[in-house]
Amino acid sequence: MIKGQKLLTEVESKELLKKAGIPVVETKLARTKQEAIAISKEMGFPVALKISSPDVVHKSDAGGVKLGLSSAAQVGKAYSEIISSIEKAYPEAEIQGVSVQRMAEPGVEMILGMSKDPQFGPVLMFGLGGVLVEVLKDVSFRIVPVTERDAREMIREIKGYPILEGYRGKKPVSIPALEQLIVKLSRFVEENPQIKELDLNPVFAYPDKALAVDARIVLE
Amino acid sequence: MFEEKLKEFEPVFYPKSIAVIGVSATSLKAGSAWFWSLRSAGFPGPIYPVGISGGRIGEFQIFPNLRLIPGDIDYVIVSTPRQSVLELLDDCAAKNVKVVQFFTAGFSELNAHDGRKLEEQMLEKARRSNIRIIGPNCIGVYCPEYKFSFLMGLLGESGPVGFVSQSGGIATKVVTIGMNRHIRYSKVISFGNGIDLNASDFLQYLAADPKTKAIGAYLEGTRDGARLLNTMKAVAKIKPLVVWKGGRTEAGAQAALSHTGSLATSAAIWSAMLRQAGAIEVHNLEELTDTLLIFQQLKHWRGVNAAIIGGLADGGGGNSVAAGDACMENGLKVPLLTPETRQQLAKLVGDVGNILCNPVDVSQAQFRGLPTLFQAIELIVRDTIVDVVLIQEDVDILLPIYSQKGLEEINQFFIELGKKQHKPIIVVLPPGSAEPQRLQIEQQLLAGNIPVFSSMERAAKALQKFNQHFNQQESK
Repeated sequence: MIKGQKLLTEVESKELLKKAGIPVVETKLARTKQEAIAISKEMGFPVALKISSPDVVHKSDAGGVKLGLSSAAQVGKAYSEIISSIEKAYPEAEIQGVSVQRMAEPGVEMILGMSKDPQFGPVLMFGLGGVLVEVLKDVSFRIVPVTERDAREMIREIKGYPILEGYRGKKPVSIPALEQLIVKLSRFVEENPQIKELDLNPVFAYPDKALAVDARIVLE
Repeated sequence: MFEEKLKEFEPVFYPKSIAVIGVSATSLKAGSAWFWSLRSAGFPGPIYPVGISGGRIGEFQIFPNLRLIPGDIDYVIVSTPRQSVLELLDDCAAKNVKVVQFFTAGFSELNAHDGRKLEEQMLEKARRSNIRIIGPNCIGVYCPEYKFSFLMGLLGESGPVGFVSQSGGIATKVVTIGMNRHIRYSKVISFGNGIDLNASDFLQYLAADPKTKAIGAYLEGTRDGARLLNTMKAVAKIKPLVVWKGGRTEAGAQAALSHTGSLATSAAIWSAMLRQAGAIEVHNLEELTDTLLIFQQLKHWRGVNAAIIGGLADGGGGNSVAAGDACMENGLKVPLLTPETRQQLAKLVGDVGNILCNPVDVSQAQFRGLPTLFQAIELIVRDTIVDVVLIQEDVDILLPIYSQKGLEEINQFFIELGKKQHKPIIVVLPPGSAEPQRLQIEQQLLAGNIPVFSSMERAAKALQKFNQHFNQQESK
């Protein structure tokens, strides 16, 4: 892990998660506009660009996120816009560049997170993403280590579970893939006690897999 | 599992001798109350009163110092102020004391820093001399089989339910409710701040204790969450474990902090932890005691199909409807009785004014005499689709029709029926205007091993918790 730093960037967070076998959307750091365009071409359009800085917590609020960019020209323009808005909003921030990732296919939006409880230590939280987690607080918890059985129960425990089973002709998402994701995240958290908080938000759930689209890790 | 705990905890629940520190010859101190309480409960071993000023309490000599007592002492109850506790532990070490219970309060629950420091010093001293500490800030042990009571001399019957409580007030309430509702305890422990022996230790003991068949717990917090979760996982595999977590709201959590020095954790995380452990969560004293009563009374019962007998005389209609709702809303099923049973019932009581589906209303049996009523109930109980029978007995309606004597006969029939077949028979006695008679009937039924509840909701909820235990353990 990276020493002396509290908030890991998305690229750093995803690298650690990927090494632990947790499926993430591949994300690379571009230090210049040219690099951003080259990486986009290599990954294939459309792509998303996000500011990469350990000092910027609310990336989209400060104009640090551009989604659905479908050409080299759009990527170049987005790069310049992101850098200049962040420089304006956070003049003191250390800017590493921007992260580049391919836009993920739309899936069912989920959230998976970890926080530390004063009595029980690391606790995983699982729920449907977006407005459902914010307004309805439809989430379930389990204490690490989370077994496969615990993961199965915590998925079924949320009120929105029928959405995962498929509705109005939609295909059901892969519950085993979500279970595996939860169990692997539990193991990852157990092996890295220096992690204070972790968010995979959103995770996209598909009929055949689950993928962490964004990731954020905070160290003790 | 945990068999080693039986030997280790022998001096906790079955001490050969007890010394009470903080007894006074002149003023009414807590120590004096403890002394009389143990005596009037009939504790079988010697009880030594200790108090700095000496003198006598009743006919007994008060020892000015623990060291002056002849021979060894197993168990010491301390109710002197906290300033003296460290010195006292030295005295205990000199007398080979095995367990010290501190009734004394004013530690980490009062002052996080200094209180915690003093607790650590106590623990260090105790460890060096192989002394186990219960508390501080607790009322300790209730073991009715051994006539060892924290209850001002009150002793209930001994039985199969074990209970662990962080709070002495809740422990007391659980025992006194038990005396009224015939919930019989093997052991009850209040451990307060739990600086040495805590919930995990006592749960492990109760899991191994051959006298305990079901375990309840009231907890406000834990200092070792990981150990508690692992312990509960192991314990719930051996015996049903019913847990009430106090301090679920912000106000409750603040009270818990100053009550037993517990840290705050959100209610959702505690609930998740209890599910993960395979424990059964309850949310108040009613649910707790209802569930413990059901675990005590029902043994090999399985199933969710309830037959509800809504009316033994008039007034069964609306009550039957409400009873059906209460059962369905709490996880029970209320299936149609088999055609054979319905035919036989129709033949027996007629089908005018009766509801012979389920809930069943057999009001018309009142015109054909008690034997007909009994036959009808027996038909329902013996129906192959039925797993459990819930009988609504509204004393206000039944008394004028059957008289007190008739009702007693009806209840005696329920008791006999409960004995001669394996399906649980549960009676709901809703409160009304005839309270003295209702309470008398409740006692008759409970003494005859028929579980009694004051509402159909409470009965159904307790049955649901019972089922939940077996479902959870099977899926593990």
